[in-house]
Amino acid sequence: MSAFLALIRAAFRRESEHHSRNVFRILGSLVEILARISIWQAAFGAHPALYGITLSQMITYSLIGGTILSSWDATMIVRDVGATIRTGAIGSSLLRPVGYPLMLLADQLGVRLFDWLLVSLPVIVIMGLIYGIEPPASLGHAMFFLGHVVVSLAILMLTGILIGLFSFWVFDAHSLEWFMRGLLAVLSGGLVPIWFFPKGLAEVAHALPFSWITYQPMAVYLGERDLAASALSLAAGCGWTAALGACVAFVWSRACGQVVVQGG
Amino acid sequence: MRETLSLLLYLVRLRVRTRLEFRASLVIAWVAQAFGYAGVFTQIWLILTRFENIGGWTWPQMALLLGFHTLGYALGACFTLVQLRRMEEIVLGGEFDTLLVRPLNPWAYLVFSGFNIEYGGHIALGAGLIAWALPQLPIVWTPATLALFVGGLISAALITASMITIIGACAMVLGRARYLFGIYFDFWELSRYPASIFAVPFQIALLSVIPLGYMAYVPVSVLLGRPVPYLASAAELAALAAGPLSVVVAAAFWRFCLHRYQGGGG
Repeated sequence: MSAFLALIRAAFRRESEHHSRNVFRILGSLVEILARISIWQAAFGAHPALYGITLSQMITYSLIGGTILSSWDATMIVRDVGATIRTGAIGSSLLRPVGYPLMLLADQLGVRLFDWLLVSLPVIVIMGLIYGIEPPASLGHAMFFLGHVVVSLAILMLTGILIGLFSFWVFDAHSLEWFMRGLLAVLSGGLVPIWFFPKGLAEVAHALPFSWITYQPMAVYLGERDLAASALSLAAGCGWTAALGACVAFVWSRACGQVVVQGG
Repeated sequence: MRETLSLLLYLVRLRVRTRLEFRASLVIAWVAQAFGYAGVFTQIWLILTRFENIGGWTWPQMALLLGFHTLGYALGACFTLVQLRRMEEIVLGGEFDTLLVRPLNPWAYLVFSGFNIEYGGHIALGAGLIAWALPQLPIVWTPATLALFVGGLISAALITASMITIIGACAMVLGRARYLFGIYFDFWELSRYPASIFAVPFQIALLSVIPLGYMAYVPVSVLLGRPVPYLASAAELAALAAGPLSVVVAAAFWRFCLHRYQGGGG
């Protein structure tokens, strides 16, 4: 556990070293959120609410969904795994006292925590002051939202690691990364909440774990679920996390058999 | 000049032949990248199926905009992105010093020897969206509109190549410059939407210092007969001129950085 925490700390510190890059990350995130908000303002036009959803709710969805619950950068895990395999660094990774999937998880957690504190939070504050942000529907919803954030992070990281581990067989992490991007762009509800989806596609999205990355936490935050439904959603998210964790463990056990170390 | 051109074409041929050695991987990369973009475009389609328009733009109009943007980008990026995104490593690793002593312009060597045919998915998706959208839009095809369409695509490709060259050149002065591609892509993503939906400062930025608005928004607006803020009747000429102008700026900036380059690696 201490090694796991040390890896998180190391990743956090590594991220904080690049000052100018971090300034540009904040700027980039501001631009991205501005785009999302502008799209919804243009879509709603003069209507303050459409289909039972208000523009203010969609601005809040864009602000939190596009920062804390964003899925885009998680595809970097796939790239990292691909590079580790291609360069042969996986050989030395296997010698370390922490399992490779756990190392990946710790590294990504460090990056993500840094991103939340020093990129997402300033962006939410700045854009919130300009466009306004709705508070959680109630204290209960806020608590369930926090639980969902943990589940969202776990599902995102585990999905990235799982897809990344397939690089052991296909050797083309770049393509896997793009498949993951396309999949998560739609099914996580990152930009468009699932309540705007056509019925068939909405059923598919609800049946998969990806909606817990952005859509389910935001639905809870905005009070689109009552407290009982929020609890049920959280339990289902925990179930998906456990299932994905088991999948990662299984795929990793098979992937280890794929590694052949030649020389040293 | 003739010898240089044949050498550059030879470098392109070598690169293409190398990449074609792994055909299955190449096809998978095309499909994967098209799938990734299709995911993003599906989100926009979902908004339009519910709300009918974004800032007055319907789905066929948006499809043309997205197709134009993707195709123009792919044509420019296949010559520049992967090659010049590595400028940081090339400079810091000392590889750039070795390029400077070769009997060929280092930019030309980097660009042509790294010609990337992985943009097949982008091109198929962009061309497919355009082919789907055009019959549904009331565009009157005349030699002038055809020239705008073809010229606008070439201009979009030139803008892409120029912007990437400018960012890559920064590595010669700053050393670390890869992170600048992040902010480029953030603005690039803005430019796939109609600029008119954004706040005034961003509209002005996209039509001036960050000329990504000319990649698709301006030429497609002119084709559709939609008004372009700040440009009015000059929009058509501006759409065609933006690419060549950005090339002039990028070439001057590359030379400026090259003159200040003092070696970054060892």
